[in-house]
Amino acid sequence: MRPQMTIMAVLATLAGTAGLYPLFTSRSWFWYGLGAVLCVAAGSAAVRYFRLPAVVGVAGGLGALLLYLTVLFTPGQALLGVVPTPGSLRALGAVANAGWQGVNQYAAPVPPVKGILMLTAAGVGLVAVLVDLLAVWLRRAAPAGLPLLAMYSVPAAVRDDSVSWLAFGVGALGYLMLLTSDAREQVGGWGRAVEPARRTEDVPYAGETADAAPRVRSAALAASGRRIGAGAVAVALVVPLVVPGLRPGGWFGLGDGDGNGGSRTVTTPDPLVSLKRELTRQDDSVVLTYRTREEDPDYLRLYALDRFDGDRWTYNALESTGRDRLTSGRLPAPPGLADGVPTRDVRTVVDVRPEVRRMTFLPVPYAPTRVSVKGEWRVHPPSLMVYSLRDSAGGRSYTVDSRRALPTARDLAGGGSSPPDVVAHYTSYPRSVPPAVRRLADQVTRGATSAYAQAVALQRWFTETGGFVYDLSAPSPQHGSDLVAFLLNSKRGYCEQFAASMALMARILGIPARVAMGYTAGTRTTGDRWTVRSRDAHAWPELYFPGTGWVRFEPTPAGATGQGTAVTPPYSTQAQAQAPETPETRGGEDDPAAEEEAEASPSAAPAQRDDLPGDTSAPETREDGAPYGWMLAGALVVLLLAAPMVARALLRRRRWAAVDPSSSGSGGPRSRRTAAEPVPADAAHAAWREMRADALDHGLAWPSSDTPRAAARRLTESLHLDEASAQALGRIAMAEERARYARAAVRVPPSVLRGDVHTVRAAFSQNVTRRARWRARLLPPTTVTATTSAARAYGDRAADAAARAREAITARVTALRDRD
Amino acid sequence: METGPVASAGLDGLTEVAGRIRGAIESVVEGKGAAVRLALTVLLAEGHLLIEDVPGVGKTMLAKALARSVDCSVRRVQFTPDLLPSDITGVSAYNQELREFEFKPGPVFANIVVGDEINRASPKTQSALLECMEEHQVTVDGVTYALESPFMVIATQNPVEMEGTYPLPEAQRDRFTARVSMGYPDPAAELEMLDVHGQRSPLDKLAPVATAADVRRLVEVVRMQHVAPAVRQYAIDLVTATREHPDLRLGASPRATLHLVRAARAYAALDGRDYVLPDDLQDLAVPVLAHRLLPTAEAQVERRRPEQVVADLVARLSVPAPRK
Repeated sequence: MRPQMTIMAVLATLAGTAGLYPLFTSRSWFWYGLGAVLCVAAGSAAVRYFRLPAVVGVAGGLGALLLYLTVLFTPGQALLGVVPTPGSLRALGAVANAGWQGVNQYAAPVPPVKGILMLTAAGVGLVAVLVDLLAVWLRRAAPAGLPLLAMYSVPAAVRDDSVSWLAFGVGALGYLMLLTSDAREQVGGWGRAVEPARRTEDVPYAGETADAAPRVRSAALAASGRRIGAGAVAVALVVPLVVPGLRPGGWFGLGDGDGNGGSRTVTTPDPLVSLKRELTRQDDSVVLTYRTREEDPDYLRLYALDRFDGDRWTYNALESTGRDRLTSGRLPAPPGLADGVPTRDVRTVVDVRPEVRRMTFLPVPYAPTRVSVKGEWRVHPPSLMVYSLRDSAGGRSYTVDSRRALPTARDLAGGGSSPPDVVAHYTSYPRSVPPAVRRLADQVTRGATSAYAQAVALQRWFTETGGFVYDLSAPSPQHGSDLVAFLLNSKRGYCEQFAASMALMARILGIPARVAMGYTAGTRTTGDRWTVRSRDAHAWPELYFPGTGWVRFEPTPAGATGQGTAVTPPYSTQAQAQAPETPETRGGEDDPAAEEEAEASPSAAPAQRDDLPGDTSAPETREDGAPYGWMLAGALVVLLLAAPMVARALLRRRRWAAVDPSSSGSGGPRSRRTAAEPVPADAAHAAWREMRADALDHGLAWPSSDTPRAAARRLTESLHLDEASAQALGRIAMAEERARYARAAVRVPPSVLRGDVHTVRAAFSQNVTRRARWRARLLPPTTVTATTSAARAYGDRAADAAARAREAITARVTALRDRD
Repeated sequence: METGPVASAGLDGLTEVAGRIRGAIESVVEGKGAAVRLALTVLLAEGHLLIEDVPGVGKTMLAKALARSVDCSVRRVQFTPDLLPSDITGVSAYNQELREFEFKPGPVFANIVVGDEINRASPKTQSALLECMEEHQVTVDGVTYALESPFMVIATQNPVEMEGTYPLPEAQRDRFTARVSMGYPDPAAELEMLDVHGQRSPLDKLAPVATAADVRRLVEVVRMQHVAPAVRQYAIDLVTATREHPDLRLGASPRATLHLVRAARAYAALDGRDYVLPDDLQDLAVPVLAHRLLPTAEAQVERRRPEQVVADLVARLSVPAPRK
């Protein structure tokens, strides 16, 4: 039966599920997983009770899981609500299918819908079956960690931010408990068989009591085992905090908390995480409402992402100073907007819902000229982003005056040249962008003569001719390769892909471009009231044209088969481009209230800013953290694997460098200095140690009672070394022997010894098994031993220190108690 | 007499002379290279040799061949149960002409003393050898007489299990530098022995190949041999291990340490080296140490002989290596 191990397997699996919490928006999934684990354990235990083989045990676990799922999800189609029928199985399959679609549709955290819960219960149940099979049936508790790890790795793979350390600690401790319990049971099995205490129960000896029976003194061993286990978990928790790039994200608090916060919390699109989460929110909650007299209000912009790092669009760290504060409410003039272009001043009164959290950037229509808002807000002059280092827009009401540019196609095609700083900053893209994308950009815009024509051609290609499909189930673009795949192959995506791709292609064509992120105009409710919901979150490219400045384009398909509330700006359609004679003549007369002073305040002009370290620099590091974190983790793994090999090579180099300065040209000046006058004995010792390490690496025996010549003789005989190798070995042994025991060491040039060592190593390598050969290359036992012995020494020292500290504390406590 | 001059006091001369002596002995005792080498080692280490084996394997032949190949005074004493101490050391006899006591030197007054079947004498008589072996002098009636140099006792004995033997006292065993067992010759050597010994004893033909002076010079050379600190430490480790070994009631004495290192010097010199190796100590550990050790009763019951204990120690003990 192994009841204890069964319980431990259940607990370990449940502890492992702790890591799944960031995937869900509520906690109900846990109870489904708990039920699945218990059912599997019960089914498996029942099979054990009847002493049937392990195969039946797995079948029992799976059967119990199936029953559980049937009862929970498809009782209607099942016989008596319990027994699965073909119909109920089909229904179960349908539920699973729905769940799978849900998983693909929603970004984590996902709401606890039926299908997803069923998948979760099934997955946790399967892990439980595997753990039960390995740990309880096969008595292999250690490999039982693999299914647990697989389960744990799901959130790590799905979420950009990592799982909290607490969840990891719980999972790791659960696994340790499983190991401990298994080991205790094995040792206990040995111990009980010979324990006299057992016998006394049956046939008590005269004068002997159960207490007198000798007990296995395993306390010290167990204590060190616990020390090792707790130490390992502690190291695993501490190392990521110390190593940069592995730190769990959390600047925006997405790592934990908001997933469980309930439906009251409304999140805002974060430029650094996918918009997808907003677009796929189930509740589609209201983010803000606004009033405007515009018939077709412009988009509300939160961010302008001016940097493409090869993978994603992001913004350079904002260098904020006190001069950026919105004291008068006035903003700098819109960059690049000349007088000749028709504009309209618009006033927008925005009410942000109080549930909105962490909205530290204000959604404003471009180009804002004046913002009246309470709190400490700042402006980023080049992009006119309005943000706060302290306050959140949640629950605030503010008024924005903006100057909406209404350029004609002629204005945009009008020529002139962009300022050099704008061109330099907004047309750069990494070299890693594949040539195929550059060719594509040229191909799409073939025949277009001006930058404007090129931009229109691009937008047309995306929305009409390119064959793109708006598809929210596409994975969010995390890497440059995702964008390339979108452009060249899949052609399925949502606003993020469209906006990012068009901005990138514009840059390739030499048009200054950036990606804006925020909300579409939303939907009109009554009169001048508009409502913006979280699904109105949007990304779009902004292109710079001389004379007009930044102009919005819309490559994302709009309407029913696209971003519902997206609107293509009138100046960006092909017809407009071909018919520049139909200017938009609407002036700024619509809104008299907006006729206020809208000129830029000189004091707010862009200037050299002082660095403001802190919040503003954080977003950048976080953005870089995602891809670099993975690279760093990979590099760390490679480094760990290569460490013994590298350590061995370094040691070899150091040995020789110390005695043979001529041979180590790259050894650097340090070795040159220390080896200024190499002693012959040192060279012999170095050669000998090196040869000994080689022998040990190749798994050859090396009794400590062997003298140099005895070792050489033994190796020559046991390996049947050829003449040359035997002589080389003899020379090394002879040099070492004289160096150790004679009056004066024989002067053998280190280079000769080095050559001999090399010969002998080759001979070793030839004469051992392939396994030993590769181990010598990849995992040299000498370095491994050195590492473990060093670790053991440190461990001993730490244990000593702990013991001393404990004694000191005990003494102190005793002294205090005595005083009392 | 064909004793060539010793070429130099150096090592070359030593190996050359030693080679001559070894050749001479081996012309008499076939197939016993190790025993012969050990005998020479003891000679050069100014020690005494105990040859122990069953009767008829050539113990006396080895002793006599060694004695004969060096041109020096040789005396032979056949130990019997009724032998008295004065029969060995000598006796003060009254000279009637001079009307005073006159010392008649016993057989120990020679360069090489061959004591045959030493364990057939009573312990009292065996004890007479103690002073002369260790201190190279004899005291009779309060007068001390110095012995010649070189002075070497080569004793043969049968294993103590044999009838009519007394075990040697520990003190005396400790004075023998090394004990060597002859062992039966291998078949080829025995066949050759039959051929050679068939006509007449080869011992008769054996002429000395070195003089006592040669030997004294060689002994000087051996004394100059270099023993590295690591090797000395190894010797100490080895004897210390015998004192701590659970199978041994009595470990090796400090004199044993001295003997071991001295023998190792000679052993290295015979090899043509002017420095001692741990290998020398390892080779000599059993012959030099084993006969001094007393196994515990348990070890005796379980047939764990001191030879095995020492060999085991040699195989287990780490050779001193330079620190990193």
